[in-house]
Amino acid sequence: MQVWTKLFAKSPFKPLIKHAEVALQTVETLEKALQAWREGNYEEMKKLALEVDRLEDVADRIKEEIRDSLSSKLMMAVAREDVLIYLHMQDKVADAAEDTAKWLLVKEPGNIPEEIKEVILQMGTESIKAAKLVYEAIVQMDRVIESGFAEKEIEREYEIIHEIEGVESKIDGLDTELMRLVFQNAGRMDWSEGFYILNIARTLSNISDKAKDAAERIRLMMNK
Amino acid sequence: MDPWLLITIIVGFGMAWAIGANDAANSMSTAVGAKAITPKQAVLIAGVLEFTGAYFFGKSVTETIRKGILYPDRITDPTVLIYGSVAALLAATIWLVIATKFGLPVSTTHSIIGGIVGYGIVYAGFSIVNWGKMTQVVLSWILSPIIGAIMAFLVFKALTKSIFERKDPVRSSKIWSPFWIGLAFVVIGTMFYIKVLHGKSLKTGVLFYGIPAGLVVFLILFLTLRVKFPSSDPFIGVESIFRRVQVITSGYVALAHGANDVANAIGPVAAVYAVATMGMAGMKVPVPRWILAMGGLGIAIGVATYGYRVMETVGKKITELTNTRGFTIDFSAATVVLVASWLGLPISTTHVVVGAVIGVGLARGVKAINKDIVRDIIISWFVTVPVAALISAFLFKILMIVG
Repeated sequence: MQVWTKLFAKSPFKPLIKHAEVALQTVETLEKALQAWREGNYEEMKKLALEVDRLEDVADRIKEEIRDSLSSKLMMAVAREDVLIYLHMQDKVADAAEDTAKWLLVKEPGNIPEEIKEVILQMGTESIKAAKLVYEAIVQMDRVIESGFAEKEIEREYEIIHEIEGVESKIDGLDTELMRLVFQNAGRMDWSEGFYILNIARTLSNISDKAKDAAERIRLMMNK
Repeated sequence: MDPWLLITIIVGFGMAWAIGANDAANSMSTAVGAKAITPKQAVLIAGVLEFTGAYFFGKSVTETIRKGILYPDRITDPTVLIYGSVAALLAATIWLVIATKFGLPVSTTHSIIGGIVGYGIVYAGFSIVNWGKMTQVVLSWILSPIIGAIMAFLVFKALTKSIFERKDPVRSSKIWSPFWIGLAFVVIGTMFYIKVLHGKSLKTGVLFYGIPAGLVVFLILFLTLRVKFPSSDPFIGVESIFRRVQVITSGYVALAHGANDVANAIGPVAAVYAVATMGMAGMKVPVPRWILAMGGLGIAIGVATYGYRVMETVGKKITELTNTRGFTIDFSAATVVLVASWLGLPISTTHVVVGAVIGVGLARGVKAINKDIVRDIIISWFVTVPVAALISAFLFKILMIVG
């Protein structure tokens, strides 16, 4: 009976997980680019930054596909709006990684103090954690549905959301630290270097900001 | 052989084919959708079991006019019964083929009822229809899916509450999976007695078929799972338990379907056979084995020729139906049909199953259901009887003029 193929619509959850996977890859590649940047290996950094750009395109394509398939004709286990906004936020994670990569590409860093580079790298590492947690959160959301919204699975989801919030506030701290360092070292740097660093910091903290927004949406999905 | 008997047999065969194409694929759909079996296996199992059900367990006596929807004493002219049967069968077949083409699961019983009502009204006006029976049929359109949905909602909630929501899901699933599956076999055992063996007493069914079957299954599963649980992950473990069970429940559905629904195709054939061989039009007539075989064969061929394609797409496209959900749908549908037949309520399995799917969806189980298709399905249920009736009326009129 053909009806079964039509009655059960394709659920957005597997594609959402796929999208989160790509977003995570994007952030991971960005971190590698930052490492190459720190080591002064600019050739490698450029290659990796371009890879970030490519991965972001892949994420965009998956996003479009999910949007196209999520018509209002579906009866879903979670609210459609929450899924769409969640997807938007998850995509912003990849976008923010691409923004950082762009900044890396536009200018070769001159004499940026080691301690600043150190903080930037830390922010990169923390961003990976945020992206990884978003991936875990959407995988866990799939489990929540799989279990028919079992309390235990919902609790586990809340734990992940808390962790994301923790990472976000940690990156916020690093961001402030970095701003302080930039002004402290103002004498030793060119204005353009300060501008460059602050923008890299801003785009990096954006990654975790968007991860947190995505986590917020998952929270809403659970109380339809 | 009487030429009209030959024609009826051919048309009856066509109806059996359409039943196989539209209905029989349903029985295996949840199992295929949940990837418990491949489409090829499903076709083989369904084909064999549908035939077995129809040939060995089909009723050897059938009503010539399904479900007493017309007053039989008003049809005294044997010719009317012959032309009417042909018209009704042909109309039901045409409607089933159209519905299958559009992928709509309609009730084969309602289709043949529509066909019968159609020629009845043309022949003797509206008063020939037993409107009390007809009201019951209409009620079943509305009640079956609603009860199916409520039942599936509750079963799914209870299943997840007892297994996944416990502190130690692996431990609780070792006890609760056998319990739920055992309970399903109580229903299946009882249904086997009533639907396949055509037993009358529910008590006999429950005591001698249902409870023993349930207990045996519970014990086997309970002991096996104590020794070996399929996985350390409760989700994967529970799914793999239910996956194996689904093959059996689906197989049962195919067997019962063959035993029961073959009557939709052969009932009218039997009516003509009775007229041709005994020259009389009665309410109930004996059905020779070869007519049952023909019905069973028709259904099996329907499954193989059309059901195959359908099940293949199901296997490839439905990715969101897990084994526990498939089991929930099968178990709920079987229970509702059993209780309804005990209460004497007319109920359509097809309608109950679709209702159950929606029920699992409402329990936030199935991840996404297409609302548009649900609407189309409901519309198709409401038009089944009128459309089959109109086609049948038209064909009957032509036969009366030409014949």
